[in-house]
Amino acid sequence: MRISTAYIFNQNLTAMLNQQVELGKTQLQVATGKNILTPSDDPIAAVAILNLQREVNLTEQYLSNADKAENKLVVEEGVLQSSTELLQRIHELAIQGLNDTNSKTDRSVIAQEMVQLNKQLLSLANTRDSSGDYLFSGFKNDTQPYTSIGASYAGDSGQRNLQVGAGVLVATNDPGNQIFEAEHVQTTVTDNAGSSSASLRITAVEQDRIFSAPVTISFASATNTLTITDGTNVETISPYSAGEAVVLNELNAQFPAFTLQLDGTLADGDSYTLDTQVTPSQTVFKTVNDFAIALTNDAVGADDSPNNGDFLSNLKASLNTVVDARAKVGSRLNAIDQQRQINDGLSINMQATLSEIQDLDYAEAISRLSQQTLALQASQQSFVKVQGLSLFNYL
Amino acid sequence: MSLLNIGVSALLTSQASLATASHNISNVNTEGYIRQRADHITRQADFQGSHYVGTGVTIGGVERIYDNFLASQVRTYTSQQSQQETFSTFSKQIDDLLGSPQLGLNNGLESFFNAVHEVANDPTSLSARQVMLTEGSILANRFNTIDRQLGELNKQADNLLAVSVKDINTLSQGIAELNNAIIAAGASRAGDQPNDLLDKRDQLINELSKYLTVNTIPEDTGAVTVIVGNGQALVVGTSNIKLHEIVDTSTNPVRVAIGYGPTQIDVSLQLTGGSVGGAFQVRNDVIGVVQAELDALALGVTANFNSQHQKGVTLGGNIGGDFFAIPTPPATADAGSIRMAISDPRDIAIAFPVGVTNTSTTGSGQIEIANIDAVPPLTLPLLAANITLTFNAATNEYTADDGVNPAVTIAYNPNTDGGKSVSLLAPMVELTLVLNGVPANGDVITLGNSASVGDNRNALALADLQVAKTLNGSTQSFADFYGVTVANVATRTHQADIGQKAQQGLLDQVSLRFDSISGVNLDEEAANLIRFQQSYQAASQIITVSNTIFDALLSAVR
Repeated sequence: MRISTAYIFNQNLTAMLNQQVELGKTQLQVATGKNILTPSDDPIAAVAILNLQREVNLTEQYLSNADKAENKLVVEEGVLQSSTELLQRIHELAIQGLNDTNSKTDRSVIAQEMVQLNKQLLSLANTRDSSGDYLFSGFKNDTQPYTSIGASYAGDSGQRNLQVGAGVLVATNDPGNQIFEAEHVQTTVTDNAGSSSASLRITAVEQDRIFSAPVTISFASATNTLTITDGTNVETISPYSAGEAVVLNELNAQFPAFTLQLDGTLADGDSYTLDTQVTPSQTVFKTVNDFAIALTNDAVGADDSPNNGDFLSNLKASLNTVVDARAKVGSRLNAIDQQRQINDGLSINMQATLSEIQDLDYAEAISRLSQQTLALQASQQSFVKVQGLSLFNYL
Repeated sequence: MSLLNIGVSALLTSQASLATASHNISNVNTEGYIRQRADHITRQADFQGSHYVGTGVTIGGVERIYDNFLASQVRTYTSQQSQQETFSTFSKQIDDLLGSPQLGLNNGLESFFNAVHEVANDPTSLSARQVMLTEGSILANRFNTIDRQLGELNKQADNLLAVSVKDINTLSQGIAELNNAIIAAGASRAGDQPNDLLDKRDQLINELSKYLTVNTIPEDTGAVTVIVGNGQALVVGTSNIKLHEIVDTSTNPVRVAIGYGPTQIDVSLQLTGGSVGGAFQVRNDVIGVVQAELDALALGVTANFNSQHQKGVTLGGNIGGDFFAIPTPPATADAGSIRMAISDPRDIAIAFPVGVTNTSTTGSGQIEIANIDAVPPLTLPLLAANITLTFNAATNEYTADDGVNPAVTIAYNPNTDGGKSVSLLAPMVELTLVLNGVPANGDVITLGNSASVGDNRNALALADLQVAKTLNGSTQSFADFYGVTVANVATRTHQADIGQKAQQGLLDQVSLRFDSISGVNLDEEAANLIRFQQSYQAASQIITVSNTIFDALLSAVR
């Protein structure tokens, strides 16, 4: 077959130009370190890259969210830790203050320290974070949750969640009323008979008394019998004389741990009901403050209000609430840690896959580059050689 | 017949061949030149009574070495190659645009939703809100930029068509004029073709095939009829019929179309192949499709984001408005007009208008508001009265009551239904609640109006839109949708790239075959030069011999 001279020329030229294009592409790949320069280089891989990049980005965002959530929870945990310590100290002071060897002055001094600690506790409940937001006022974090010792909760019950994983939300705050408020019990004595000269006096209260039902104490003079019942259990003391101490829980384990006695002249039909009045929630500040006032007034006996047993059990309930909240915060921190490990793992895996798809295999690319360079050189040289061949050289 | 005459005929013939070889050599680089060959034929012999005596040689004609079939194949592949090349040039630009980290929407969506997460992390931070606004306007900008670039490409395609129409008209006019010249040169007679005019005409037809798929029909007069599309004649005999740039009003914005003849009938759909076919194809199949998909995505992002945003409460305590704006006109969001509707970071609606305001419980039952289902626009306060949910342990039911509307019971078995999601419906209020824990009998949870600065629930709901399958019949997220668009363009570009290479290969092959027949080979012409130089020298010798024998005859009688 014959070949036209122009064709030889053009073909060689086109071949060289194409080789230059390929060489240029390889060079760009080496320069950018990327295997895929535009989506059309490999449409399937390009979409996979888009998806992976999005997932990596989202996972990184989750990791960053987890850091933020952790910071917030660590601050809260610190506050709760301090609150626990304060409450424990208040508890110690209360035990110390209730000691009968204390004079009124001693109690007043102890009460002063207790008031001081209470103020500290209040300021902890009003803690703000670095951006000036209150930690414990729910969603209303521009509102001070407790403006004073006696104030009630001004925040709301909102819990702010942060997203630390796909579909994984972690609460980063607790409303103050779920931390600094607890059930409050107060012992009440009702005189059912009315105008009798006798009176019921509580002489000792244990901390762990449990009321399953109100306890009624009634006296019958005919048999000189004192009947004690909570509606289910009935115990009698016969004969009973005024001033004799009755330890309720020793009579029957179902009865609350009270020691009481009837004083004065007992009359037939004298009847008293011993009960607790339960407030679903009262701030720990008020509980402590009430007790401190009572302590200052030296009025913390078993028959006083608040009596020592009520106070100690209420304080214990408050302490438990704070400790529970701390446990919750701890478990959230754990959850964040676990989620972070999951996200870290995912992120590393996805980045590895991403790198596999989009990053250049340098060894392969460099060898391709030198191969293409060689090919281009060869065709340049052969072009010159072939173009030199002409019969006209010999005419 | 004299020896001298024979010698002269040989001299003249060799001269003609030498001239033809020289013509070939001199036109070696002329585009469209077809090599020529002078055909030698013997002259009519003399009858000498009993026998014929040869009378020498003459030129039968100068012939073009040309294969019609190969020539038409070259045109076909030229059209196809040119179409793929035009297509791929445009679609590569879109491919680059959509995949670019600086301009592509995937990065824009990611940055924007990262900013939404940061607002959820810190709902009271004005700086986080400001970042969300800025990222929102960057996202809107990316939509605008891509849309503008696509518009530019559309315009470029239009320009290409307009220029092509002019070029095609020039070419068809040239072909008609050459037809005229060829008829005048008497091409109908065999053997004396006006070769160089034919070359020029073939060259013009080849040029034309870069713009369009061309069919040619040779006429007896020597003219060719040139037909494009499905039967539209561009050249008939010595006259040409013009194409016109007309306006296609069926699209918005209007585009360039091609009209045929004096009536300017729109023949855009009939014209295939070449750069014109490629431009039409890329305009319809890529630019138009991507524009439409981008518009749909802009609409999806705007509608979904706005709708969720309108369920929230701003820092100022007002119900949220539009986040992205849909200007009127156009009535529907299009990628070119999407922009931010708000400029004050306080106007970002991050809180929910309702919350759990009070719990009076002894059990561990919890109720969370997962989302507001009421369709915007909402008016505050959302609740006419607080809704109490009271648990009945005997029947395992919550009773929702707002004191106004009929009470609703919600079954909830604490042992099996933890995490249950239930919907409250109108007329009370449309909410999705998530129930958890073990409530005690008689536990009361109260839902009330709320608008707290630290509430990030709507921000979380907004952030969820990043992965939520909200588009295309709830099968695709925003990024999924965009990914499909990118993949479509990438695939088309990839195909066009491969197609172009394949067509180029075919074109190269058929060109090689065409050139192997019609192209000039300098070595061959050099050999021809030698050959005809030798025959010229030999013919000269005939004259010398004739001279010598004439001299011999003269000296014999002297």
